[in-house]
Parts: sequence; C-alpha cells; structure tokens
Amino acid sequence: MIFRIARKEMTEMIRDGRFRVSAAIVFALLAGSLLLGWHHYREIRAQHIAAQQATREQWLKQGNKNPHSAAHYGVYAFKPTAPLSLVDHGTDPYTGVAVWLEAHKQNEFKYRPAQDATAVQRFGELTGATVLQLLLPLLIVLLTFNAFAGERELGTLRQLVSLGVKPSDLALGKAVGVAGSLLLLLIPATIAGSIAITMASGGEETAAALPRAGWMSLGYLLYFGAFIGGSLAVSAFASSSRAALIALLGFWMFNGLIAPRAASDIAKSLRPTPSAFEFGQKMELALKNGADGHDPADARNKKLEEDLLKKYKVDKVEALPVNFAGMRLQEGENHGNEVFDHAYADLWSVFAQQDAVHRVLALAAPGLAARSISMGFAGSDFPQHAHFAKAAEDYRRMLQRTMNADLIRNASNTAPYFAGDDLWAKVPAFEYTAPAANWVAAQQTSAFGILALWCCAAVAAAVWTARRMQVY
Amino acid sequence: MFEAIGLSKTYNGSAALHPLNLKIEPGEIFCLLGANGAGKTTTINLFLNFIAPTGGKARIGGLDVVDHSLESKKLLAYIPEQVMLYRNLSGIENLEYFTSLAGGRHSKSELAGFLEEAGLAQADAEKRVGAYSKGMRQKVGIAIAIAKKARALLLDEPTSGLDPKASNEFSALLKKLSGSGAAILMATHDLFRAKETGTRVGIMKHGHMVAQYATSELGHADLERIYLEHMHD
Repeated sequence: MIFRIARKEMTEMIRDGRFRVSAAIVFALLAGSLLLGWHHYREIRAQHIAAQQATREQWLKQGNKNPHSAAHYGVYAFKPTAPLSLVDHGTDPYTGVAVWLEAHKQNEFKYRPAQDATAVQRFGELTGATVLQLLLPLLIVLLTFNAFAGERELGTLRQLVSLGVKPSDLALGKAVGVAGSLLLLLIPATIAGSIAITMASGGEETAAALPRAGWMSLGYLLYFGAFIGGSLAVSAFASSSRAALIALLGFWMFNGLIAPRAASDIAKSLRPTPSAFEFGQKMELALKNGADGHDPADARNKKLEEDLLKKYKVDKVEALPVNFAGMRLQEGENHGNEVFDHAYADLWSVFAQQDAVHRVLALAAPGLAARSISMGFAGSDFPQHAHFAKAAEDYRRMLQRTMNADLIRNASNTAPYFAGDDLWAKVPAFEYTAPAANWVAAQQTSAFGILALWCCAAVAAAVWTARRMQVY
Repeated sequence: MFEAIGLSKTYNGSAALHPLNLKIEPGEIFCLLGANGAGKTTTINLFLNFIAPTGGKARIGGLDVVDHSLESKKLLAYIPEQVMLYRNLSGIENLEYFTSLAGGRHSKSELAGFLEEAGLAQADAEKRVGAYSKGMRQKVGIAIAIAKKARALLLDEPTSGLDPKASNEFSALLKKLSGSGAAILMATHDLFRAKETGTRVGIMKHGHMVAQYATSELGHADLERIYLEHMHD
C-alpha cells in the first residue's frame, strides 16, 4: 500500500506544473553549480600540478650554495584539490592553498581565494553544496507542506481514511513519493557529477573518490529524509496548509540561513580563537624564551657549546670534529618544532572545540551536521586542512634535518661550505596522500549520528502526527 | 448493517447528538432529515469513526467502529456532499487509486465498467478530474462503492447542488445498490429525494431523533407537512 501511495504521489507531482517548474529551476542550478565546480576544480588542479612541478624544479636547480641558504630558499607545498570539492569548496577559500616551507618557521598558509573575492562573491557562491543544503530542502518544503493539510482542506483525506487506509501507511507512502520525485532530480545530477569528475581527474581519482561520494550521499539522504519526515509531521499537525507553510519556511530559514552564522558566532564566543597577530606574537616570544618562557636561546646555545666541547674533549669551537653551526641550527629547529607543536596544538584544539559546539547546535539545526559531512567527504573541511598542514610540516622538518645533517657532517668550522645538486636530489619531492574515506567517516561519526537521529525522529513524528491528525 | 446503540456526542458540554438508537438492515435506505446542526453529519462522522463518541456504540456489520476501525471501514463506502478527487489524475486513475487502497485489484476494463455502471461515459473517464462537474465526481464516488462491493454506504447530502436530472440518476444508482443488498444511511435536506429514494426517513432536531417513518406510509405532501411541524415545535 505504501508504494501504491508513493506512486500516486509521484504521478501527481510530475503532472503538477508547479513541481515541474521548481524542479527544473533546482536542477538547472544544481547542474550549473556542478559545471562551475568542475571548471574551478580542473583549473585549480592544473595550477596545482604546474606549481608543484615548478617548485620542485627550482629546488633541484638552485645551484651550489650553503645547505642552510637552501633551507631558507625552501619549497612551496600546494594543497591538492580533492575531486569532490567540485560539490563543496568548504573552508578551502579561507584556509589557503599553499604553504612556504623554510628554515626556522612553520609558516601560515598563503593564497586564500576568499581574499581575492569580489563583494558579490562574498555574498554567497553557488556550489552544489548550496543547492543541496539550501534549495533542495526548500523544494521539499514546497512539495510537502500541504501533503496532509492540503488533503484535509480539499476533502480527499476523509475519502482516504474512510477506505480504511492506515494513517501511518499514508505518511510513509507520501514520504517515499516525495523521496522518489527528488531522486528523479538527483540521479541525473549525480551521473553528471561523476562524468565531470572523471573528465577532470581521470578514472583512477574518480575510483578513489567513490567511497567518499557514497558516504557523502548517505549524509545527504539522511538530511533530506529528516526534512521530508519533519515537513510531513508539520503538515499533519498544522491546522491549515498556510500555517504549515509558514512554520516550515520559518524552520528552513533558521536551519539554512540563521543557524550557520549563529553557530559560528556562538562557537567563537564560547571558545575564542586568538587573532593572527596575537598568535604570531605568542609564538615569537616562545621561540625566543622557550615554550615555558624560561629557556632563552642564548642560554641554550651556550649549553650546546659547553656540552659539545666536553663531549669531544676540545677547548674551542673551531677544534670540533663536527660543524657547530649545523648542530646549533638543528638544535634551534628542535626547539622551534617543540614551540610550533605546542602553539598549533593549542590553536587546533580551539578549532576542535568550536567544531564540537557546531555538532551540539546541529541537534537544533540538522543543516549544520549535513554541512560538516559534505565538507568532510569533499575533502575541504578543517581537519583535512590540518592533516595536509601536518604532512607539509613533517616534510619541512625532514628537509631541515637533511640540510643540517649535511652541514654537521661535511662543513668545516673555519671555512665556507657549499653543497650542490646531489644534496638537493636527496630530498624527495613532496607528495601528499589525502586521508581515506574511513578516516573522514570516523571524524564525522557524531554528525552522522545527529542526522540519523533527526531522520528517524522526523519520520516517527510524521507517523505519530498522522495517526492523531484531525480528518477535517 | 448499521447499528447505533445509545450513540452520543458532546462538544464542550454541548450535546451534538443525544443518545441515538438506530438499526438499518441490508437493502434499506435510511434518510436522515433535519436542519443544519440537527446532528445528521455528526451521526455519519461517528459511524466513520472520524470523531470519537462521547457515549454508546456505533456498529457496522456487527463491528464496533472504534474497536475495529480499519475492519469496519472495509465494509463501507462514503460519499460526502462533494466527492473530492485528485485533479491531476483522470477519473479512472482516481478510481484505481481509491479501490487499490481499499484492497481491490481491478483491470482497466473492469474499472471502466464500474464507471460506466455509475453513469460516467468512457470518454470522460479518461479526462483529468480537474475538469469534472460535481455530478461527474459524485459518479466516481458511486463507482468506488460499486468497485469496493460496499455493503454499507454513508452519504452526506450527496445530491446537494446537483441538477434534477443528475440527482434523479444518482437516486437510481442508490436504489440499484440497495437492491443488491447494501444498507444506506443518507443525510439530506431534500425531502422529495428522501421520499423517492429512501425506504425509511428519520427526522432529527437539536441532536435528537424526533421521528421515524417508512416512506411507503407517506406521500410527498405528508412528509413535508410532518417535517415542517417538527421544525416549528
């Protein structure tokens, strides 16, 4: 009976001009956003490959120089763009796409597209995620607000109930009918998106993106299920279809427009992040005085010198069998690494706490959970930015160790020293592997839990209110 | 088939239906007469279990409509003042939908046959009901009852607003259904139609069943006179 009801709902919707027009608009926007996303992804991917090759070439062909000069010459690490970021750019425009890896410093990321955005772009960018998170729920509201209230006003509800149709079957049938109509929109869009990814990145990357796409789809299905169930519950509960529409549009605005901004402000006020200036100043101070403020650089260098003289049983630096400058530089790196680890761990812990606030608020607005899942599997959320930043920093440290080790081993304490291409080639090219879908799924467990809770509660509410609704 | 035993309904302390005792056998057409607010629609809604009784019981085919809500509905068909259908579906699609929800499975030709039996031309059956007149929609309602092989029919002013010809056709269909053994309870304002169609009439006033007559015992003028006498009391 549920599928019979669903079939009739779909037939009616497809024949309804209002559905055809609104579905066509949503489909056009979705297809358009995917096309724009595809163009953006292809462009960024090509730029990334070219820039990564260029920085590698520059490193290998920098000529003869002191290894520490080479360490300052440094390299760029470019964050690769994930195929599914054509659906959701996430935090990428704000976190930056490249980081300069040099001696002594764990630099901030550079080149944030949001900095170059025009005023219009800052107002809101059309992406697949915008359509899926904002416009699809609006379409669901428009399709379902009169599902029960409208039938009650029309009189068909009495006709149905007089036949002995179970209200729960009616609610589930309507839910399946709306879901089926949405799938008519989403399936072609998904096929088009898959073709776009394959064309832009090749079959191998597309295959690798499939598990992520599967998880992302599951997240969106739960989100749409929550909206369908909730909208049907409101329609069954409301005294009129007008009241149902007003209530649902109110929730849609809260969920899609108000909650994301409010959640950011609430999270920031509960767990404030330091400004870039404060963060930089704190780190400078820690580098100078030690992570705990009681280990100044001069004292460290003095102790290193004393320890080495004692170890090699000599009375002056020039007599050391190892290069003192290299030892001092590596010691400085080790100290810096400790400071960076401490500072970034603190900063990222604040971000994680802010993220936890978002998760809690998602209990009131499921769009927050859907957004988190979407960005997560698109590979454009903060944890994956942090994952890349960690990989880049590990590479920087390896590069510094290699340069300093060469200095320690080969440089003299009394004469200038230059290394050449052989040393540069010893440093492998930077290669980054994004975390697997399961890693992201583990990060998104609570978001999935919240969406599943919303979906089940909304469908249960639809069935419950349908059982108790006034027939007229 | 229909049985009301001390059936009553009160809204906020105000009685919409005082305890009603009524029995309608298969083959009978019982017409409920009365002014607006007399309790006719309340009685029908109680049999449909659209509203819960304050007291007493309503039974269809021996089944309590509250305790056996779904089972009792399998026995009946309901035709309201305006049979409302899905305007984006054709007459035959509406019939197929409603009968399938009632548990029936019929071929397209069978469905067309039911509509024809109810008086709807085949060409009209294929049209979307957005273009139907009230009379055509009422015929689809009858076709649902025919297809469902309903043994009990509840009709709430079904001929209101129909032209005399359509109204007469509708009465003929009801007689045919009762002739096949269905029990019919019909609320109406139309005294002429009640006399012509019904086997019994009951006059309701302020929630009370004040009188019952067999239509065979009365002429049209008698029924009108008795009805008006009750209304003036």
